[in-house]
Order: sequence, then C-alpha cells, then structure tokens
Amino acid sequence: MNPGRAGRGHPPLRGGALIVSGRLQNNAAMLRKLIRFCLSASALVFASFAGAHHSAALFYDLQGSVEVSGTVTEFRFANPHAILRFDVVGEDGEVQHWTAETTSPSVLRRRGWSQDSFTAGEKVRLQGLPSIDGSYLIRITRAFREDGTEIGVPRGTDN
Amino acid sequence: MAPGAQRCGALALLAVVLGMPGTAANAQALDGHGISGFWSPGFGATPPRRAPTPAEAELMASFPEGTVVLADVGATEFPPGDYGGIAIHEALREAAKTYDPESQTTVALTCKPPGLIYTMQGPFPMEIFEGRDLIAVKLEYFDLVRIIFMNETSHPDDWPHSQTGHSIGRWDGDTLVVDTVSLQSGTLFNNGVNHSEDVHLVERFRLADDRTLVVTQQFEDPGSFTGTAARVMSFSRGDDHVYPYDCDPSYGLSMDSREGPAGP
Repeated sequence: MNPGRAGRGHPPLRGGALIVSGRLQNNAAMLRKLIRFCLSASALVFASFAGAHHSAALFYDLQGSVEVSGTVTEFRFANPHAILRFDVVGEDGEVQHWTAETTSPSVLRRRGWSQDSFTAGEKVRLQGLPSIDGSYLIRITRAFREDGTEIGVPRGTDN
Repeated sequence: MAPGAQRCGALALLAVVLGMPGTAANAQALDGHGISGFWSPGFGATPPRRAPTPAEAELMASFPEGTVVLADVGATEFPPGDYGGIAIHEALREAAKTYDPESQTTVALTCKPPGLIYTMQGPFPMEIFEGRDLIAVKLEYFDLVRIIFMNETSHPDDWPHSQTGHSIGRWDGDTLVVDTVSLQSGTLFNNGVNHSEDVHLVERFRLADDRTLVVTQQFEDPGSFTGTAARVMSFSRGDDHVYPYDCDPSYGLSMDSREGPAGP
C-alpha cells in the first residue's frame, strides 16, 4: 500500500531516521499520557476559567497539506470532532497507526457524513492538514473510498 | 414530520411554556420581528476585515467611541499573544505566556464551552424562537440555550454566574438589543486570556433582509482589559434545525493516544 507523501513541515511517512521503532513509539505515547495527565490535573484546578474550542491551529500546519492512504480500524462519529483510526503500512512493512480528525460531526452531517461513513477494514485515501509535531495525525479536509468515490460533500471553509 | 411542522410544534410548545395563548395577536407577536428560525453563520469575512454593509454600519454606529472591532470572527483565530488591539491588562498578558493550548483537548476540558461571548462568534448555527415575554436562542455549539427576558428591565443582584448568564432584551425599532451579565469567566480569543465574571455584554440583532441576520456584540470588562471590544457577525437563514451537540469527552483520549515519531 502506498503510504502517501508528506506535505510541508511533515516527516517522511516511510524509511529514514524519522521513522522510529515500535518501542520508541510506545515511549512517546507514554510520555504524551504523562504530560496529558499533568495538564488534566492542572486543568481541573483552573477549570472554572477555561473552556475548549479545539482549535485546529493547535495540532496542524494550517498552510500545509498531506495525503495518506490506509485501512480503517475504527471510526468514532461524535462531537466535538470525529476520530478515524487507520493503519498505514510503510515500504519496510512497518504498520503505522494513524489518527485522523475531522471537524464537528454536526457540520459533517450537513455535508452528507454519518456514523456509517467508514467501515473497519475498508481502504481510504485522506487529504488534509499535516500535524505540527510530526505524529501520525491528519486533519481531514477530503476523504475518498478505494474506488475514488468522495465521502460527503467537500467543505467550503473549514471550522 | 416536515421541518415546517416541527417548527410550528416547537413554537406552539414555547407559547405554552411562555404562557401565551394561541391567539391571532400572539401569533402576530411571534412573527413580529421576523428573527425566528434557523441561522447559519457566514464563513466569509466580516468587518473590520471588509467594509461594512449598510445594516452592519447602522449597528456599528452604536459602538462607543474608541471601540476596538475584533477581526477574529468565524474560523479565524488570533495566534498566541495577539489580542486584536485590545488593551489587555499586563498581568493577564504575562499569565497567557504560560497557557498550554493542548489543555483544550484534555478530558476535563474538552466538553466545557469556551464562554458565551466567544461561542456566539464561532462557526456554528443557532435557532431563535421569538416570543412576547422572552426570546429563546438555542446554540448548536455545546447545546447552549439562552433565554432573553423581554419582560424584565433589570438584572437580579443574586443571579448565579453561568455559561449563558442573565439576559434582558428590548426592541429598539427593528433592532433587538440584549444586555447580559452574570457570565462565567470564559476565553476572549482562545489563546489564553479570559474575561472576568464582571464582563458586561451588549448584543444587537437586526435583519438586513429576510435571509440575512446581522449580529453585533460589544463587551466591557475592566477586570481584564480597558475600553470596549466588539465583533460583527452575519448569519444566513436556513430551513433546518439545530442538531444536538452531545459532546463526548473521550475525544481528548483519542488525541492523547496518537502515535508517531515525535510527540508534544
């Protein structure tokens, strides 16, 4: 499977020194969880004067673009943003576990999306914004099935 | 049930809740100013990013002299450290330097609304039900429901602070003027600066034409900045209803467990 190509500010999807081992990925995930736990703890303290708008600018290069193809493993269609999990196999055979985020399902419903838009096991091609931190993360702007059919109606201006 | 029938049913229910019998006079009152219905935010630029339309200019003329009109309406967001020209107090500017935006995606905060002032300018639709004694505004974003009391002329002293605060409204000709206090602290720009619980919000709603609703917000908060800030928004009428938002905090976990060669 073609893992796609990276856009500006995004690491290569296969080969090279930027692709790390499964152990390092696990360590990175553990570190994230620890950081997130600390943030959650502090956030609880300040919860009375903070809220969430889930800005795309937090995680994504708004000027960049990336296209990734893979196999769907999970789809959660719920606000604030839908989450699609999918696997990408690199040229070295390594399986990369990717996360794709969308805008609000409330918005997507009006563009023809639903909780049945993706099925585990199906192959998809996704276009969107690359992650800032280089993680296997994409903000979907357009999604296509294996036969080229587009899922839903393309957005006008993202939110 | 057809959307029109659903809307009639909802209005009838509101009329019962509001204690308004279904007389012809009340039906006329419900339709009186024409702002009832479903309104979608426009994704295009609004003032000051473009010249105001005549309807926008008319509402903007109500802004106090020296008002700073913010250019972050809709999908646009100010980057860290940019407060749109508002004189934010120095202590808050310093505190904002330690703000970690990733806290927005924690389980604790994912489903906490960002505050009414910021929510109103966000790119989500709303549905307005205009009554005689009150006006209900259902926001799709975070399922917030606003009640604007049209039969009250002052705010209670002991009203609890909340996401939607306490709102009183009046018609100034064809313009609905809404005055809101008792808002919980919320973000001003989604970049680390929050207003205090003493913020005072004044909004104006006016039809530019049957399909276009212009909304302005102006707010003052001596606890966080000096002067008056404002935003100008534009909404288009649609034949739809606001969807349930039903925010799922597990979104934070999903973002937390992302993998890859680099981390936050």
